[in-house]
Order: sequence, then C-alpha cells, then structure tokens
Amino acid sequence: MKLLLTGVNHKTAPVELREQLAIAPERLGEATHALLDFPGVHEAMILSTCNRVELLACHESNSPDLLSFLEGYLGVGTASLRPHIYEYRETDAVQHLFRVASSLDSMVVGEPQILGQVKESYTTARSVGAVQTHLEKLLQSTFAVAKKIRTETQIGSSSVSIASVAVDLAKKIFGSLEGKRVLLVGAGKMSELAARHLLQQGADAIYVANRTHDHAVRLAQNFQGRAVRFEDLYATADQADIIITSTGSQEHIFRREHGQQFLHKRRNRPMFFIDIAVPRDIDPEINRVDGVFLYDIDDLQSVAASHLADRAREAQRAEAIIAEEVQRFQRHAQALNATPMIIDLQSSAEEMRQAELRRMQARLQSLTPEQQAAVEALTRGLMNKFLHLPMQAIKAAALEADTVMLEVMRSVFHLTRTQEPANSRITSKTVPAETDEPVIAGNQKDRS
Amino acid sequence: MYLLWLRVATALYGLASVAALPAVLGERPRWQRVCLPLAIAGWLYHIVAFVEMLAAAHRLMPVGMHQVQATLSLLIVTAFLLIWLRYRTISFGVFALPLAFLVILIPAIGPDKYTFSSSLVRSGWIAIHVTLLLAAYAALIFSLLASLFYLAQERRLKNRQSPGFLGWLPPLDTMNQIARTTLVFGFYCMTGGLLIGSLIAQEHMGAAYFVDPKVVLSFVMWVLYLVILFVHRSAGLRGKRAVYLSSAVILLMLCVWAANLFSSVHRFSTP
Repeated sequence: MKLLLTGVNHKTAPVELREQLAIAPERLGEATHALLDFPGVHEAMILSTCNRVELLACHESNSPDLLSFLEGYLGVGTASLRPHIYEYRETDAVQHLFRVASSLDSMVVGEPQILGQVKESYTTARSVGAVQTHLEKLLQSTFAVAKKIRTETQIGSSSVSIASVAVDLAKKIFGSLEGKRVLLVGAGKMSELAARHLLQQGADAIYVANRTHDHAVRLAQNFQGRAVRFEDLYATADQADIIITSTGSQEHIFRREHGQQFLHKRRNRPMFFIDIAVPRDIDPEINRVDGVFLYDIDDLQSVAASHLADRAREAQRAEAIIAEEVQRFQRHAQALNATPMIIDLQSSAEEMRQAELRRMQARLQSLTPEQQAAVEALTRGLMNKFLHLPMQAIKAAALEADTVMLEVMRSVFHLTRTQEPANSRITSKTVPAETDEPVIAGNQKDRS
Repeated sequence: MYLLWLRVATALYGLASVAALPAVLGERPRWQRVCLPLAIAGWLYHIVAFVEMLAAAHRLMPVGMHQVQATLSLLIVTAFLLIWLRYRTISFGVFALPLAFLVILIPAIGPDKYTFSSSLVRSGWIAIHVTLLLAAYAALIFSLLASLFYLAQERRLKNRQSPGFLGWLPPLDTMNQIARTTLVFGFYCMTGGLLIGSLIAQEHMGAAYFVDPKVVLSFVMWVLYLVILFVHRSAGLRGKRAVYLSSAVILLMLCVWAANLFSSVHRFSTP
C-alpha cells in the first residue's frame, strides 16, 4: 500500500483559491466518502482548515489522480490548481503529515489548533469507513509525534500576539488572574482585545474610563463592567490591579507621583500598567516606583518578537524529533512489508508438500481414509514446524530493517520478489504473529 | 543500617540537585519529571533513616551534631515538597536541594564524633524544642529564598529582559505568598521552641542559663523576627526591603548556630 498526499496551503495558494477548495465541516464526511470511492483509493482522509486543504490517500501501484477528484468534486479547474498544488509520496508524505500536526507547517508556528483539526478530520474519515489499517497506524503515530513535540519542546509555550503577551506578563506578576481588576482608560481596539483576553483568563471586574462618558458606558456594558467618570480616574485607579491605557491624549495621564500614591494606598500590592497609546499615556518614570510595572506597545512587541524567535529555535528541535519519528515509522512499515515474504514462504512449502504427496499417491492408495488423513496431518504439522523458525527470523529482520538478512532468507528459500498483497489490511489479519498455521496466498481480495 | 539509608538519601538528593538545574533553569519538562521523583525518593529514604536512627538510639530526638544536621536537611526537603504541593513550583529546588544535599553530606560520611551525652536530651520536651527551632530555621531559609526570587523577578520584569532569562522564576505573587507564609510559620515555630527551651532551662539550671551567649542571641533573633513580621504586615513589605530584613534574620540565625561553640551550657555534655 502506498501513500499520497496532495493539497494546497497558505504558502502555496492565495486565499481566493483556498476559499474555493475549503470544505465545510458538515460536508467533510461526504467529501471523504467521495474520495474513498474515487478509483484507486483504498483509504482516505481530508484535512480542510482556513490555511490548508489536503487529501491523504492510500493506494496501490497506480497512483490516483487526486487533481481530477478536486476538479470533479469541487469544480475547481486543474489548470488553475496545478501551479499551487504540492504532492508528497511515501516517506515525504509521512514527514509532511507529522509536520502539519505538530504545527511546524502552520502560519504561526506552534499554534495549538491544528492538532485538533487533524483529529477532527480523522474522526470524520473513520466514521465513514475511510480509515483502515494503514491510515490508522499513520494517524496514531502522527498524534503521538505531535504530543511528543508539545511535551519535549517549548514550541507552543510562549505567546506571540500583543494581547496574549500582556496576559502572560500579568500572570508573571499576579500568578492567577482570578479576582484581579482591570481599568481601561480610553477605548481603543487593542486595549479592548487585551481586556477581553484578561477576562477570559479569570480577571474579575472591568472598569472603563473615557473622556466621553457615553463611550465608557457603552464599552463597560460590553464587558458587564462599570463606567468611571474621567474626573474620578485618579480616585479609582488604585483599586485596579491592571491599567490599560489607549487614549489620544498628548500629555501623560499617569506620572510617577500617581504611581507612588496608588502604591501607598494599595499597601505596596503591585500594579501593572499597559500603555498601548501613541503618544504614550504614561510617563516611563512610573516604572521606577517599586511595585509598578510599565510596558508600552514597543515593549510588548519586542517580547512577542523574542517569543517568535524562541519558537523558531524550538522548531529546529522539533524537526529533529520528526526526522527520528519518520524513520521509526518507516521501520514499522517495513515490518508490515514482511507479510508477503512470509506468505510466499508458506505457499512455496505448501506446493512442495502437495507435490510430494502427489508423488507418493500410488503408494498411499492402499491406506484407509483415516490413515491418509493422518499422513496429511503429519506432513502439514512437519511443514509448519520447519517454517516456524524462518518465519520468526523474517519478522525479526523486518522489524530491525535488516535488509541483508531478508535478502539471505529470500535467497535460501528461493523466494522471488513479490508485490505487496492487493489489500494487506486483509492479509495482515490472516497472518497472526505467532501462528503455526499456514496461510494460502490465494485468500487476498481486492476492495471493489 | 540507618547510615546506609542516609547515604542512599544523600545520593538521591545529589541527583535531584543536578536534575533541578535543567528542570528549572532550562524549563525542560523531561528533567522536571526526573527531579521531583528523585527528591521524593530521597525524602522517603531520609524518613526511613531518621526513624531507624531514633529507634536505634531509643530516643525521640537527634543526639549529636550530625543527627541535628540530618534533621535540618530533612526539614528543608519537607518544606520544598510542601511548597511544590501547595504552589506547584519546583523553582526552589535549584537552591533548596543542593542545600539539603550539602547539609546531609557530613552526617552521611560517617558516624558522629560528638554526641550530646547529657541525660537531659532524653526528655521529650527537648525533642520538641529542637524540632521547632530547626523548622524555624528551615522556614527562614525558604523565606529568604522567596524574597530573593521576588527581587530577581521584579528586576527582570522592570527591565523587560529577554523572556528566556530567568523565565523559570515563579510569579511575584506566588513568591510573596511563600515568603509571608514561611515567615509566619517560622515565627510560630521559633516562639514555641524558645518558650519550651526556656521552661526546661529554668527548671534545670535556673537564671544562670539566660546569660549564655547562644541563649541571648536566640532571644535577640526572636525580637528581630517579631519586628520583621510587624513591618511586613503593616507596610506590605516586598522586594529589596523584604530581602534585607530576611537576610538580617538569617545572619543572626547563623550567629546563633555558631554561638554553640562558645556556649558552656547549651552543649548537652555530661555535667
């Protein structure tokens, strides 16, 4: 069974094309089923997110034309698709899938959503019967690799957006944000986003102060918070643990002496000031007050950039893990590839046994039916006993990817190189790992 | 036999100390999974050694300097594990585990040459006195560590340093809580320990006991401790001021420890 992965992503195709190819979650099952019915496809899965559409298929020797499937099913012409499409086969396909699920191929490297999206695609494909032995093994390995990368590297541990950096910094100061109060001064989009993030992380109450009180009231209603009159700003500010400013003021709203007053009233409990305004609303000198922490937009951006650099460094470690895991997966696949050789060995031995029985047929005719059955059982038992050790050796050699040993075995037993069985998910079930029972090679069948 | 378990515990603390460096400084999850089990295993062996030690001596308290050091080491690791249980941080392991390792190292090397031969040490109240004071020392060490971590984290956040640098430090609030809790806990232990010690001394030796340098320094330390707690509570002391005050108490604590060498009545030798 061979593997083919075809698709487009944010690096290869513009959003206009990705829009045309995108498959809505409610149609994913139907599309996967259609792909499974496409000639030559034996197992299939479709991954459709806002940044990529990828078709994964298991096939036999003749590779299916997945571009035609896309054209037929989605009505997107192959001519417009061809310049943007990529195609990976076998090891490259495995490696690409591992990279996608581990978020190394994402627009924001390390983002956690992609693994969930791959899992959803897998669940859908499984529910329509499109995932069998091969894809099952591949996808289980994919999930294990993605988990390993999450735990052994820090690829997703740091924030890369301004709002989430602000939340991280607040957590470094306050630990948990449960019960913390946030004061928004001004009503900018960025400050609103940061406040929303803080609320999601458990911040307790939002106060909003704005020169136009109506704006403050409206924004406070959005957050189920409280509007504060701008005249009362300095009297209220010490109640807030986090202050986010984004006004259009040309002068500093908070200065060092304000910081000292607030800290005195708070008995030195720390305060976190986030100044998103340009020109700045807070005098940088306030940062000199013990217990006051000030970050402006440049500081937040530089932290985010530094986190991105960290992620790039961790991505290199993740790539090394993926290279190892791809090799491991290949070795495992090679172990599965020993099945045809074992079947050949059994067929060859069975042919010899039948030939010997035919040669002795004249002499055996005088035997009673019970005696003939005993001879049949004896020869079959002997054959199985003789084959047991070579079969074990083939399995061990395949597991260790010992190609020299496999060649020796092939040569010793005069086995010709056979193609992989038509449907190894069936044959693999018919060759139990430790069985002594011979398997006749004729029991393989094609999926129609 | 207890010496064998003590050596196993020492080895495990040593390994845990080494694992703590990449686990905490490098924030490597794999090392974090190694460091904590090693510390817990070491602590369990230490408990076994401690119980065997007491059972062998038929006493409820350590009867020599080595045994006192082993007990202090056990209390330091206990405090580290309690902090991990409560705050889920192993950052203190960077200092606490090597400290516990160094303190236990000498007792683990060989048997004690100097033991308290006085029959007074057989008293159960003395056991409580010693344990409470050792617990107070351990608590003070953690309070100072937490204050130092607070200071480093505060500097880091104020200077907007690169996220990787000292990124392993716990949040400011967590360290403030640890510093405050250990400080209060240590104060209760020290007050109880000194009170019991004073009552025993009054009963056995009379007023002369209270002019001993170790005893005088102990009471000075207690008064300073009380002042720190008062200031901490009233002014919400944090950052470098908290470090200065904790350091002063620790310094005095070391003086009290060293004063044993000059003490004539606090050495528990046979009269």
